[in-house]
Amino acid sequence: MTEYAVELHEVSTYYHGEKRPAITSVNLKIPIGSLALITGPNGAGKTTLLETILGLLRAREGWIKVLGYDIPGNLHKVRRLCSYLPQDFMKPPMEPFTAREIVAMGLASKNFMGRLSASDWKLVDQALDLFGMLEYADKPFGKLSGGQQQKVLFARALVREPKLLLLDEPFSAIDQESRAYIIGEIFPKLLEKRCTILLVSHHPEPSLLEPDLVIEMREGRVRRMVMQDVYAPR
Amino acid sequence: MSMLLVNSLISGVLAGGLCGSIGVICNRLRLTTIAFSMAHAALAGSALALALNVDMISLAMGFAFLTATILGPLADHLRISLDLVSMILFSLYNALTFIFIIMAPGPTFMTESIGQLLWGSILAIRFSYIAYLTTAAVMCLAFIIIFWGRISSLLFDPRLAEAEGVNVKLYKYAILILAGAIITLALRITGGFLVFSLLYLPAAASLQLQSTMQKMIFSSWILGSASASMGLGISFLLDLPAGSCITIAAVILFISAIIYSKLKVFSLYRGGLHAR
Repeated sequence: MTEYAVELHEVSTYYHGEKRPAITSVNLKIPIGSLALITGPNGAGKTTLLETILGLLRAREGWIKVLGYDIPGNLHKVRRLCSYLPQDFMKPPMEPFTAREIVAMGLASKNFMGRLSASDWKLVDQALDLFGMLEYADKPFGKLSGGQQQKVLFARALVREPKLLLLDEPFSAIDQESRAYIIGEIFPKLLEKRCTILLVSHHPEPSLLEPDLVIEMREGRVRRMVMQDVYAPR
Repeated sequence: MSMLLVNSLISGVLAGGLCGSIGVICNRLRLTTIAFSMAHAALAGSALALALNVDMISLAMGFAFLTATILGPLADHLRISLDLVSMILFSLYNALTFIFIIMAPGPTFMTESIGQLLWGSILAIRFSYIAYLTTAAVMCLAFIIIFWGRISSLLFDPRLAEAEGVNVKLYKYAILILAGAIITLALRITGGFLVFSLLYLPAAASLQLQSTMQKMIFSSWILGSASASMGLGISFLLDLPAGSCITIAAVILFISAIIYSKLKVFSLYRGGLHAR
């Protein structure tokens, strides 16, 4: 069994029609059950790296393995084991789905034919409750504040019980108190279950976060990779 | 009541409902222009049939179905939007339609079959047509109900759905093919020029009335059914083109929905003022 959740070897990704790669010759090995912080300035290639790992962008060079599976060969299988919280999550006020429906979609994409059982709906409510959003469960998503929308999408990501959690600027709209709760209470529980977390942030070190691995990107390349002095798998 | 009127009303309920519900989904997925290319594909097919002196309806359906099938893969392959591919095909089908009509022998513009395809006719409603519509309605409802979990995920955010393992392309193609079949069937009563009214006017009206996606699809089905039944009834009674009557009925319902929505907001606002 593999000891790495994500392995990239000499991976380069190009956007359609571009001659210059968005990320160039990236080599990465992220151990299972670790918290990796991907940092760097705007345009460094952080989001491209996440989307390449998920196969949303196709790598033109190199090879990728996620949770031991080759990408893009096992794309749908791998994606069902992962959860993704995108950077551009905000929806307009007229969005015709409630918070509960949106969290349920996270499970629907995993389950057979997208069907949800009564126990699945309980999980949905538990996930909303985890982020203090249960009282807003029946409210239209678009009528929630930016921070509340981000919490609902966090709940959607977690209800899937992912093996790999990819978070793109996950605290951009969330207040300090909630951020501390997510980092201090939720992340450790996920890591205990050997879930690997890849967190993208343009801040070098988001407060309270203690990553096992810091990957610094610049101009589409990994410039620096720092692992904790003594890395102990949890 | 004559059998033709009964058949017209049944067809209206089914065709209008199907168009209304698929219209909401297509609108949400920003596929509003697909109707243009599908309708004009059917026109080109019928014009070709006229030129070749073969069955007009089969060829019209074949063209529309082919368009529905190739639209999605073509857009993905060329990496351009579905709307743009639709408009390219729309132009091509228009050009072909005129060429085929010119090639056809005799005074083609005056034939009843071309009239049916351009502005619809209740004379096109036969028992086999109702059977086709019933089959399409059952398939459409089954598809939406069984796969609602994944369809809703696609409607909320296709990129996020894809990231979570939903086969977005497959579902999008399935919706396109379903829409193609529905448009082709609706063409018989609305005509090629007016099928858009039944697709998008009930959808636009339901956006005024409802706030959740499931309710929007349901109310668009009801409004589409009402528009088509009313239109076909008026067409039967006043001997006017079916497509025009359906469009006018759909516009009346759309305006009524806007007025109702505004009155509701106004009464809530007044209620709020009184509460203070």
